[in-house]
Amino acid sequence: MNGAGKKHTLRFDPRTELLLLVLANIVAFTQHSVWVEITWVVFLLLLIVACGCGKSAGKLAIAFGICLALQYYVFPNGPKILASSFTIIVSYARKIFPCLIVGTMVLQKTPVRELMVALRKWHIPQGLIIPLSVTVRYFPALKEETGYIRDAMKLRNIHGVQKIECLLVPTMISATTTAEELSAAAVTRGIENPAPKTSMIEMKFGVQDFLCLAAGLIFCVISIVVS
Amino acid sequence: MSTNKKLKGKDLITIGIFSAIYFVINFAFMLMGGIHPVLWMLMPGFIAVFAGIPFMLMVAKVQKLGAVFLMGLITALIYFATGQFTLVILISMASTCILAEVVRAVTKYNSFKGNSIAYVIFSLGMVGSPLPIWLFKADFLAQITEQGMPADYVAAVEALSSNAMLIVLFVAPIIGGIIGAFIARGLFKKHFVKAGIV
Repeated sequence: MNGAGKKHTLRFDPRTELLLLVLANIVAFTQHSVWVEITWVVFLLLLIVACGCGKSAGKLAIAFGICLALQYYVFPNGPKILASSFTIIVSYARKIFPCLIVGTMVLQKTPVRELMVALRKWHIPQGLIIPLSVTVRYFPALKEETGYIRDAMKLRNIHGVQKIECLLVPTMISATTTAEELSAAAVTRGIENPAPKTSMIEMKFGVQDFLCLAAGLIFCVISIVVS
Repeated sequence: MSTNKKLKGKDLITIGIFSAIYFVINFAFMLMGGIHPVLWMLMPGFIAVFAGIPFMLMVAKVQKLGAVFLMGLITALIYFATGQFTLVILISMASTCILAEVVRAVTKYNSFKGNSIAYVIFSLGMVGSPLPIWLFKADFLAQITEQGMPADYVAAVEALSSNAMLIVLFVAPIIGGIIGAFIARGLFKKHFVKAGIV
């Protein structure tokens, strides 16, 4: 299925990745057979290896193996307290594992810019796309900001509950200023222009997208039929 | 605020930035939930206690229809797109956010009471995160019985996912939300009003 991807890294349309996430969710809720689950996970892992996320694929494969080992060997034989407190989380992790794999691919291989173009192609309203892209891009700034605040707190020897207040209040105030500055810049650059936006990125469904979605759909059908 | 009740560029950016802060607080507690399932079930409550400030500041800044809905939708979408949660969270978030918007519209967007109620309802949306425990319950139990686990062990898992815990799951964010709203009000009076932000 990934014949083409073995030679050079495969690239998917962001829309394919999002659809694949939905399919992964459907499979998570409908499948009841371990073998369907394992083939689905292996298929997705191969897929992200083909996309060039080999390292994370390895980590995820190990994590999945640990989950299976815990469920089948450690929990039945180990101390009861261990089993009763962790079964739910391990089972849940196993259930959503396919979603995690696809999510990793989205995170590592899809720039925010492309995701936004994809959402725009689906005619998602600007009212959602603008705040969503601001949110995603504000995370690094927020990290930097809180780093400085932490340093300042260390200098002044602030401890305990006060720390939360001293972290939250400056963050909120700087967020308010950022919001104002950013809006001034964005309005100047025509964010409120109602005309359809254009983009440098060309987006098209390729053969690999159709193949991948077809495979996902087949798994969905199998997981509903085999129970 | 503005006479125009439609969300403009500036409102959208404000919503985006406060959603980022809300998400970070939310995520920090979500990581804690990985330690033990009971913590996970109480997590919507914990989040509600601490995330009141970005929420209240945002509703004070953007007194228009749709602000809360967008905040909830963005949080759920990011969780969904990174594959950490299932579609359940999108559904629960969207439905509680619509309710919260109704409350805000009825209370004309600027009353503390109305915004607090909206916040409590909004906080309930995070229930969608541990909810699959109950949705997958039959599956879990079948799986562990099949593995030949002792009966008392099966009973322990069943107790964790009992109906009583389901009630706890829903009550925690209500209590947390009320506390969170009051914390936010205290901080507003102490800092933000003085700084001229709200």
